[in-house]
Parts: sequence; C-alpha cells; structure tokens
Amino acid sequence: MYFIIGDYLAGMLIGALTALGVRGLVPSGTDMVVGMLVGTVVGMGTHVVLGMLMMPLLGMFETMVPGMLIGMYGGMLFGMRDAMAAGSSTLGATAWVGALFGAAVVLALKAYDRTLRGTVIDAGD
Amino acid sequence: MPTDAMRKWDLASRSFDLLSFADVRRLGPHKRRLFSKIRGATMMVAAGTGNDFQFLPAGHHIDAIDISPKMLERAAEKVAAYDGTIALREMDVCKLAFADASFDTIATVCTFCSVPRPVVGLRELHRVLRPGGQLLMFEHVRSKIGPLAIYLDLMTPWVRRYGPDLNRDTVGNVMRAGFRIRREENVYLDIVKIIEATR
Repeated sequence: MYFIIGDYLAGMLIGALTALGVRGLVPSGTDMVVGMLVGTVVGMGTHVVLGMLMMPLLGMFETMVPGMLIGMYGGMLFGMRDAMAAGSSTLGATAWVGALFGAAVVLALKAYDRTLRGTVIDAGD
Repeated sequence: MPTDAMRKWDLASRSFDLLSFADVRRLGPHKRRLFSKIRGATMMVAAGTGNDFQFLPAGHHIDAIDISPKMLERAAEKVAAYDGTIALREMDVCKLAFADASFDTIATVCTFCSVPRPVVGLRELHRVLRPGGQLLMFEHVRSKIGPLAIYLDLMTPWVRRYGPDLNRDTVGNVMRAGFRIRREENVYLDIVKIIEATR
C-alpha cells in the first residue's frame, strides 16, 4: 500500500510542478511549437530533480519511468495549452490539472505493467 | 582488475543502502522466489553491500564475489544474519579465480548492467558453471518500448558515471555467451527481468 500511494503521490507532484513551471515560463501567445519545446524541457528537468529525491523512497525504475512520461508528455501538453491560453486560468487549477495528469499516467502505466508482467519465455524444463 | 569500475563502486557503496532502500523492499519477494531455485555449489556475483543475502534460501554455502572492497566491507556486516555460510571474495567477474565447472548455480542481481565487458563476464560464468548448471539472474535491461528505450539510451551516459548502464541487452548477451535461456519473466514492464539460463 505504501508503494501504491507513493507512486500516485509522486506522479501527482511531478505533474503539478511541471504544470506550474510551464505556466511560469510560457506566456499566452507564445508560438505553440516553442511552448511545447519549453514545456518538454521543464518537464524533463522537473522529473530528473524530483526523481533523484524520490528514488530511495519508491524505487529506481518505478520513479524514473512514470516521471519521464509525465514530465515529457505533460510538459508538452501544458506548454501547448499555455501558449494558446486554453484553460486553467488560476495557478490552483493549473496545479490540479497537472496532478490529475500525473495520476492518470501512473494509472495507465500500472495497467500496462500488468499486461507485460509475467513469463515471456518458458522452455518448460 | 578494472580500477575504474572498482573506484566507482567503492564510491557508490557509501550511499548504496540508502538509494536501494525501496528497491530492496519492492523487488525482494521476486528475488526470494528466484533464489528458491538455488541448488548445489553456488556463487553469487556482485554481492554489493549484501542487501540480497536476506533473500537466499537457508542452509547453503555461497561464494559471493564483488569487484569493490568497500562493498564487501559492508556486506561482511550482513553475512552473520544468513542462516548458512557465505564466503566473501574480492574478484572481477571477467577473471574468476575458480576452476572450470565449479558451480551448480550462479546467481546475479543487477550485475550485468554494470560489468564493463558483459559478454566476457558471462563467458567466465559459463566456464565455471558445470554442464547442466543454472544461471539465475535478476537484471534490468533496455526496454523494447520505443519512448522508454530512447529515454534509457539518453540517460545511460549520465547514470553510467555513478552507477549502472540502463540500456543493456542482457538477454542477448546471455545467449551470446553460450547459455540457453530456460525462462524469462518481466517483473516491471519489460525493464526489470528474471532470466534463467542453463549451460
């Protein structure tokens, strides 16, 4: 239970901080491509820093993989949104949407992990 | 003996237990399940700080090697807790000081992500394993999932300075060294794996 809750909280934190970071750096009216690139860089930076802090608490790959997906894709999406000024007008709403995105990625990865987990090759001896 | 690797892992030994706190607890049950297959004369490669001794089945004699003397110093503190005997030896897996066909089982945990010449090391394991002997591995490897593989490739040059490579093809390397894969199991996505092979 510790790890399940921890995975979601970590994902939500990375998502929220990425969203807030992007909001601070991508003003509305920014070229959307530039906004997406800035968002990706912010997301990757956020996940690397937070990942190093959370790795001892949650495990190496269980921190790195969701963090990377949240940071990279989340940063891209948030950058696009903020460049267009399309939604989440307050910082609180921005953070919550980021956290929701983080939780959704963690959930999706857990579901994907279930499909991949288990025996891949068994020679039967 | 590759001094760069020794120096790196000597340095890593200081924070190894702290950094692997969650991994030991999260992945421990899988390691215990894998190690329950240990039989006969057994070698554990890259014992590290001895975190995985707790997952070994009781009553065995294990020859545990590591390239880092500092890691072995810490592992020595955990030997007494094992219900069996563990002999610690400083040794490079690429140049084992054991005779041919000395072991029935060889166990590794997150080892061949770090050995600088993995196929050479695996060939040495093949040499010291008896015909029909088993190689039990708990390893992380390069993902075959596109974005994850790219990410692991990009992170490896940076992570390699302080720790393991993240993009090794360990299943392929095991086969290149002459082993036959008996079983492969995904533990986390397709990155953390149990690999069982026979000589």
